[in-house]
Amino acid sequence: MIYSSELIKGTLKTIVLKLLADNKKMYGYEITQRVKELTMDKIQITEGALYPTLHALEAEGMLTTETEYIGKRVRKYYSLSPAGKSRTKEKISEFADFVDTMIFLLDLKTKNI
Amino acid sequence: MYCITDEQIDFILSDIRRNGVETEDLQLNLLDHICCIVEQNLEEGEDFGTFYQQTVRQFYKRDLKEIEEETQLLLTFKNYYAMKKIMITSGIFSAAAFILGSFFKVMHWPGTAALIFLGILLVSFVVLPLMLLLKVKEGQSGRDKLVFALGTLTGMLYCTSTLFAIMHWPGRTALWISTVGVSMFAFIPAYFFTGIRRPETKSNTILTSILLVGATGLLFSMIGIRSQDHQAQIKTYTYVQNEQLLKTMQRKATTIPANSQNAKLVAAINKACEQVKSLVLENAMGVSSIPADIESSHLLIDDGPLGDDFINAGKGVALFNNLKAAVDKYNASNSDNNKLPVAHSIVNASPDKLPQYSSLSVLNSITQLQMYLVNLPEDAGVAIK
Repeated sequence: MIYSSELIKGTLKTIVLKLLADNKKMYGYEITQRVKELTMDKIQITEGALYPTLHALEAEGMLTTETEYIGKRVRKYYSLSPAGKSRTKEKISEFADFVDTMIFLLDLKTKNI
Repeated sequence: MYCITDEQIDFILSDIRRNGVETEDLQLNLLDHICCIVEQNLEEGEDFGTFYQQTVRQFYKRDLKEIEEETQLLLTFKNYYAMKKIMITSGIFSAAAFILGSFFKVMHWPGTAALIFLGILLVSFVVLPLMLLLKVKEGQSGRDKLVFALGTLTGMLYCTSTLFAIMHWPGRTALWISTVGVSMFAFIPAYFFTGIRRPETKSNTILTSILLVGATGLLFSMIGIRSQDHQAQIKTYTYVQNEQLLKTMQRKATTIPANSQNAKLVAAINKACEQVKSLVLENAMGVSSIPADIESSHLLIDDGPLGDDFINAGKGVALFNNLKAAVDKYNASNSDNNKLPVAHSIVNASPDKLPQYSSLSVLNSITQLQMYLVNLPEDAGVAIK
């Protein structure tokens, strides 16, 4: 099962931040591949959602970048800035809280029992 | 692994550009991404062109430009919050500066001008333009944008003309007239005809328009388009002629000092008078004495308050106290008949009330005092040479 893009949209920032927290620096393609690999293809980040998010996070000062030339093309590596590190923690705890609330709201636990 | 050629890289980059991705950073990111996919997944012998089209097709729903638009949207959204924050902070600051400045003005404390200046500048050049920008960004219709632009312009003009009026700067009447004009003939009609077309805003629009017309009318009635300059001219030339009269009287004075002691005292008063007058003139006209070509230069003396030199321990207060001391000394050593009448002149004013007097009333009062000195009775009379 592949999750719908609406579900992923709200969590994309959190996913990207967490990945960068675990891996020192990553580039766009690497991020999509890693997510695919970790979720066993259940979450596939589209390019159309990833790059706007990366640029927005960079503009907000959450990410720092470095570029590397590979032949004729340029590869941009992203890593967390100090502000990004604290934002990651906030985002993750916010999401954990959200999950708890959703479990309660949708009555998921009782159904499973 | 497929090895991508330089020509293919150029092809991809130009294709991305052609499809509406304008941000350079984004172009490079997408280029690298596509190259990675091609290198990982393109089998030997497979056609590069077809594979490329298939790959890029997965990036979007309608067209590739979506990515550019989404990026711009997220970036402006971020600016949007920063702008809103700046607007609110500077709005609070300017309101505080206004209130403090007005309070200072009532109390005649120093720093009034700076506070009001700051408040007006912030409102007209930071708060109002930012408000307009934010409204435009919120994506209103063209008509609403026009109304907002005109409203902002009116607000900025209003603030600037208030500043000019408070500071007694030249050109204030012209500014007021343009403010009233823009408001009455551009902003209010635009606002009215935009709002009245929509049923849901109709009654509000009528009420607000009536209030706006009323406020603009009140402003217009306060300008006094013609009278102001004539009034200022009469006031200025009354003083200028008083001063000329004094000079003539001083030249023609024939009385001889009754005693040399009095001559010294009178000279001291005259010196103190001239010092105070030149400081007042400098504040009100920018020059320390009346220029010889005052009529052709159209200079007017601003009949505003005396200025910061006459507050607290300013230079003006010291000079003023000098004058007071000189007059007291003279009066103490002369008989009642020959004393200078100071009861209702500026000399009798208490120093802390000085900021409340206007330039011309002080100048005229001092000049009159000097005229008394020329016209003293024989036994105290002095010729000032």
